[in-house]
Amino acid sequence: MEANAKRLPLKRERAPKKKMTKEKRVRYFKDNSPYLLMILPAVLVVFLFNYLPIYGVLIAFQDFMPGDKILSDSTLWVGFQNFERFFSDPQFWPLMKNTFLICIIGFVIGFPLPIIVSLMLNAMKGKKTAKVLQTIFNGPHFISLVVLVGMLTLFFGRYGLVNNIAAHFGGERYSYFLESKAFRPMYILSSNWQDFGWSAIIYIAALSNVDPQQHEAAILDGATRFQRVMHVDLPAIMPMVSVMLIMSIGGLMGVGYEKALLMQTDGNLAVSELISTYVYKRGLTGVPDQAYATAIGLFNSIINVVLLIIANTTSKKFSENSLW
Amino acid sequence: MSEVVMKGLKKVYDNKVTAVHDVNLEIKDKEFIVLVGPSGCGKSTTLRMVAGLEEISDGELYIDGNLVNDVAPKDRDIAMVFQNYALYPHKTVYDNLAFALKLRKEPKDVIDKKVREVAEILDITQYLKRKPKALSGGQRQRVAIGRAMVRDPKVFLMDEPLSNLDAKLRNQMRAEIIKLRSRINTTFMYVTHDQTEAMTLGDRIVIMKDGFVNQIGTPQEVFNKPVNLFVAGFIGMPVMNFFDHCKLLLENGVYFAEIRGVRFQLGDFQQKALRQNGVQPCDIVAGIRPQHVTVGEGDLTAKIEVSEMMGSEYNIHARSGDDEVVMLIPTVDLTTDVSMGRTINFTTRPHLIQLFDRESGNNLIWYDAESANNNAPVCKRYDF
Repeated sequence: MEANAKRLPLKRERAPKKKMTKEKRVRYFKDNSPYLLMILPAVLVVFLFNYLPIYGVLIAFQDFMPGDKILSDSTLWVGFQNFERFFSDPQFWPLMKNTFLICIIGFVIGFPLPIIVSLMLNAMKGKKTAKVLQTIFNGPHFISLVVLVGMLTLFFGRYGLVNNIAAHFGGERYSYFLESKAFRPMYILSSNWQDFGWSAIIYIAALSNVDPQQHEAAILDGATRFQRVMHVDLPAIMPMVSVMLIMSIGGLMGVGYEKALLMQTDGNLAVSELISTYVYKRGLTGVPDQAYATAIGLFNSIINVVLLIIANTTSKKFSENSLW
Repeated sequence: MSEVVMKGLKKVYDNKVTAVHDVNLEIKDKEFIVLVGPSGCGKSTTLRMVAGLEEISDGELYIDGNLVNDVAPKDRDIAMVFQNYALYPHKTVYDNLAFALKLRKEPKDVIDKKVREVAEILDITQYLKRKPKALSGGQRQRVAIGRAMVRDPKVFLMDEPLSNLDAKLRNQMRAEIIKLRSRINTTFMYVTHDQTEAMTLGDRIVIMKDGFVNQIGTPQEVFNKPVNLFVAGFIGMPVMNFFDHCKLLLENGVYFAEIRGVRFQLGDFQQKALRQNGVQPCDIVAGIRPQHVTVGEGDLTAKIEVSEMMGSEYNIHARSGDDEVVMLIPTVDLTTDVSMGRTINFTTRPHLIQLFDRESGNNLIWYDAESANNNAPVCKRYDF
């Protein structure tokens, strides 16, 4: 008895990690082979398209010309010279400002919008109407950027719908695409119009997990519909909101070049030139300066990584949710 | 005064399915009434109609004398405890308890006083700062009850509040609800599918099946005087033994029950009741409770299939012809060998035999046609 009692641990201790023997490892792979096979395509895709291209980042530190090998005896390493060039480029501050403003305004409007929409759709009494609305809201996501910009032209072009209506009532025709001050509202609002329904899906899915009895309990407690949204629905999706917030902040400066480029005119160039469009132009058009473009792109990515770490750490500190 | 009166309460869903048919029930002030029945019998729907969570399709519902069919749930002065607690997971226990009072905009000190009083009664004061996920099932259930208690409602509704707990905790919580009831002394409506809960908690039990009320009565009444085969089979553990193809005989003005060829002269009360009801000889289903079986005597025989020693009693499963017979025999009374495979004789006291009409399934003695027609079925009352 005494010997047995001695063997019992007095407090919970973490069992020491045992090293897997070769036999066990083989058996582990055999047992889990169907699952490992299933995950293999995803791993391959991530490796090919996300990890392998990182190798190309090296050219940011080289005097690289198209046709050069990235790693060879003739590689000319220049350290941070390309970065220094960018920081002293007269375009540096305008590019930073334009990219930051487009991203931050887009984020401020675009992040809460799907949350509000999902909460409203979820709170609607008529579930059929909510479903129809959700389908309608999802529609714009499937429009290609080219078509979207084409639609903007049809609506806001000099001879577009808006100008035609204005002209009909005696107003002046206005070249929205040539005006700097019209670029950001058109860019941001059209982006949010295109994506708010699609982004709401994840919140609607999270809301579907809310126990209906919590709503019933709140009804009996005397909560109004709005109070139920605030005290039952919103807290239920907060973990999801936190994760999406961290991911959004992490990709804040990662705005694509396609739409800005499609909407770009000489008239709005002062505000429509973003880091991504500049990278595109410097790296792929005219006389390509790929090393310089890569350095700018890498700088942009580093800002995103820093933002991601800050957002994740902050979220971890103030809430129970974080990506890692 | 917090009476609940249901007059012809009916629930028909959009797909035309009738979940509750014409329920008539009067719940007295401070009465503990239990709605019991199998899944899908309409008991929860009835409770939800009282709560205001389901629209009433037809009929009238009165709480405290006021017609409340169209009154919002929050204005009915009721509180409800849900099956899976329905606690707000992001709020602390304190905030869960205080939520309804905060919505009513009660002063902070009043809220604090009420919350702490209730927490004291339910012994959850030490958990007030915790969130529900940090509580055990029993503690969560107490918080759910507490949330209802702080509102000091006229009617306390409970929808299978113990069904998520394990057997031991369920017994413990059942006892706590009995104690709680004596402390808060209000009207209770309690829904369960567990007949043990129904029997131990209820002043009266409402037994439902397929949306119809089958019997309303005290635990003793529904156990001893079941009005039909369903009630007889549903109430009691183990369930009542039914012997099919039996006969009710009348010879020289004396009634006999013939079970598997063995005649039992019925007791005085049964004789009088059958005579008063003018019952003619007919095919019957005879019901005998497992507790009322005596082994080692009598002319009925059965072959033991399973014999379970439960400590103070034997639980014997035997086969008598086509009928399965369950016998619950106290160990101290047992003088016969009841090992598996043996054939034993058994009998019962004739006055304990329940007699059901084979066609309608109604109890020939306790079925009261008048109350059944009014959809408020109770067992028949006799003057003798």
